[in-house]
Amino acid sequence: MARRLLIPIGPQHPALKEPMGLRFRVEGERVLETHIRMGYVHRGIEQACQERTYIQALYLIERVCGICSHIHTTTFCQGVEELLGVEVPRRALYIRTIVCELERIHSHLLWLGVIGRDAGFETLFMYTWRDRETALDILEEISGNRINYAVNTIGGVRIDLTPTQIEGILERLDYLEEQARYYLELVTSEPTFVARTKGVGYLSQEDGRALCVVGPTTRASGVDRDVRRDDPYAAYEEIPFQVVTATEGDALARTVVRVKEIAESVRMVRYALQNLPGGEVRTKVRRRVPPGEVISRVEAPRGELIYYIKGDGTERPARVKIRTPTMANLVAIPHMLRDAHIADIPIIVAAIDV
Amino acid sequence: MFDGLIRWARRRSPWILHFNSGGCNGCDIELLDALTPRFDVERLGILEKATPRHADILVCAGPVTRQVRDRLLRIYEQMPEPKWVVAIGSCACSGGVFQGCYNVLGGVDRVIPVDMYVPGCPCKPEAIIDGLVKLLERI
Amino acid sequence: MSAEALVRKLKKALGEHIGEAWVPRPHRAFFTVRREELHDVVEALVNRFDIKHLSTITGVDTGQEIELLYHFWDHDVCFTVKITLPRDEPRIKTLTDIVPGALLYEREVHELLGVEFEGHPDPSPLVLPEGWAEGHPLLKDWSPPEEG
Repeated sequence: MARRLLIPIGPQHPALKEPMGLRFRVEGERVLETHIRMGYVHRGIEQACQERTYIQALYLIERVCGICSHIHTTTFCQGVEELLGVEVPRRALYIRTIVCELERIHSHLLWLGVIGRDAGFETLFMYTWRDRETALDILEEISGNRINYAVNTIGGVRIDLTPTQIEGILERLDYLEEQARYYLELVTSEPTFVARTKGVGYLSQEDGRALCVVGPTTRASGVDRDVRRDDPYAAYEEIPFQVVTATEGDALARTVVRVKEIAESVRMVRYALQNLPGGEVRTKVRRRVPPGEVISRVEAPRGELIYYIKGDGTERPARVKIRTPTMANLVAIPHMLRDAHIADIPIIVAAIDV
Repeated sequence: MFDGLIRWARRRSPWILHFNSGGCNGCDIELLDALTPRFDVERLGILEKATPRHADILVCAGPVTRQVRDRLLRIYEQMPEPKWVVAIGSCACSGGVFQGCYNVLGGVDRVIPVDMYVPGCPCKPEAIIDGLVKLLERI
Repeated sequence: MSAEALVRKLKKALGEHIGEAWVPRPHRAFFTVRREELHDVVEALVNRFDIKHLSTITGVDTGQEIELLYHFWDHDVCFTVKITLPRDEPRIKTLTDIVPGALLYEREVHELLGVEFEGHPDPSPLVLPEGWAEGHPLLKDWSPPEEG
């Protein structure tokens, strides 16, 4: 009988992009149990928000996550706007949506490169990150920064799009759509990639629902849930789109779902740009937020992102609660890793898009 | 005589270890961007290594949280001499927006000595390359 | 199903367990439940109504008491079940036996607010550093430790 060993991975490990403590009890090559230790990136943001004004807190919120910074500020601003009872101009909502979807494109391309790297497919990493530069160029052109674009403010957005910019973005979108088609073909037909991801990290539909998993991870197991359609926010009620699902529930299905979502996001940005309403991009808001509580939800690239914000009549929030989608998906890791090979650990952990 | 040769070799092949000491990941992905075709730091001899024992330069991003502190120190100690530390991003330089948060100690220099500070939130790949090149000139 | 229709349906089935109920806007519903009855109510939601998705658990210290908000997602409604706990006795039965997804959320609320979830299989530290003995940061009367 093989010996049982305890293998730690992290907080410093090339497979992990953020420090996280994972401990695996293994027997031979098979994983028996997993223990997760978070806290390396816990900065105390929720408590810090209570000591800042809403606008100061916005700077912190943007930096909860560097990859999906815009979606965090969107959720926060939406919530505060609801507490204030203000109506955000339609043009601002469209611009918010455009940046949200551009962020989804860059995040999924980033993820595709990371999983390629974890599967040993370094070329895929180089190709996808090269294409990601196109999306980042668009974001830099319209906002001034490649990451942490500071587009949102309470009451609307801080940028506007000129016709020349729109034309330039539409051209680059065609390139991204073409590349998305290429990647779909690649991930489904490249034998080594398929061999490393097919059947790996299986999560059944019942388990996905019982463990409250969110995002592409759960959509790949057939759970048809997407906050953009079920609980529309920003301009999603006016922009037609399809929710992408799959049924196989393994790492390959998650890859396919994300690649198809890139193509879907390209189409949504194109529609939004071609139907951009005129008007203002922000509305003035009071500094003091009336007492009340609000729940703001969005579909971040990794899944459902939910904020609970409580106002108490002052300039500072009484409570800001943030639940990131990755935290919802972490619960599924010990489950998916049971009986997995050690070599599949990076793929399974990466497939939930940690 | 060999000193010159050794210094030349060190300057031509600085291998880096990337560590995120509790940040938002923004600077990490800009660093990884530097490895990708548009910026391509490999032409400068820079390779990203997996273990501290193979690395010359520790590139650290993110503010140092209490939980990470001991691990960061241990990683630094595991690196063989000569070694250098580059703090990328405002958070690694000084704690950034997270200064004063209860779980954050501050910048990387609260725990280990830093040789080069690259500010920015996040710092662009060009800035990281500039910082690394300036550091290499000092070797 | 709209939020109003969902509230009507749940009130009809679980009426005596539900305290107040309100619909502040489309897609949102809130209702209050007594702490002792939470487990039974959630069991009904999971087994009778197939509402399994718990988005998260928010803990709020209002100063007088501790509120726990359990946010559930059913199709297109996010409805929240609100419980209040006395500050000097913040304990409640765990939901992890019926909602496995609650595992990490309960750990987080336990660490940051000091709420005890009776029967939780693994209440080990999740987000705060090892050896943290400076209290629960999200309580209103908490103050940060002295700079070391």
